[in-house]
Amino acid sequence: MPRIAGIDVPNDKQVWVALTYIHGIGPHLSKQILKEAQINDTIKAKELTDDELSRISGILDRNYVVEGQLRRQVGQNIARLKEIACYRGLRHRRGLPVRGQSTQSNARTRKGPRKTVAGKKGVKEMRG
Amino acid sequence: MGRSLRKGPFVDEKLFKKVTKQEEVGNRDPIKTWARRCTIVPEFVGYTFLVHNGKIFNKVYITEDMVGHKLGEFSPTRTFRGHSGGKRK
Repeated sequence: MPRIAGIDVPNDKQVWVALTYIHGIGPHLSKQILKEAQINDTIKAKELTDDELSRISGILDRNYVVEGQLRRQVGQNIARLKEIACYRGLRHRRGLPVRGQSTQSNARTRKGPRKTVAGKKGVKEMRG
Repeated sequence: MGRSLRKGPFVDEKLFKKVTKQEEVGNRDPIKTWARRCTIVPEFVGYTFLVHNGKIFNKVYITEDMVGHKLGEFSPTRTFRGHSGGKRK
């Protein structure tokens, strides 16, 4: 199994799919990279030669931020928002949606599993 | 949606003038303002603003990190302290 960008070991999928297993690389970037490295993006990842591998990792090193470094960057950006106590930072602190979404209902991705409140009237009871 | 680059950042002119005037005199009194929509520019760093939130003026000390944000982002307009009967220990 080829190793690209540190610990990533994509399998015997087509190269352009295998590359998307790297954090920070989606389908679009993946195809762009392979084009730049002049590799046919439909060959299997295991068929990559050492030379082709080094060309890919060379391009990654030079032009893109991926994996741990990217995660750190994102974390730092959020930490900065929290630090200066701006509106977005406050939303991050409270674990609520940051981009102005409605929170009366839904917003479960940010808020996590529902916390049911005992004794709270449901819609059915209020109708009766 | 971002603002057109052609126009540059929006800075409240009256507020900006007030800051430059203070710069000349060299005092750093808090500046009371309603201009929440005003972008924070590098010239504002080190000043304290009292930013209106519709009710009161919140003290905002400008640091370098805040450049590029709007003044209003630092003066929350809503109060929510949690639901009643919270089971806080």
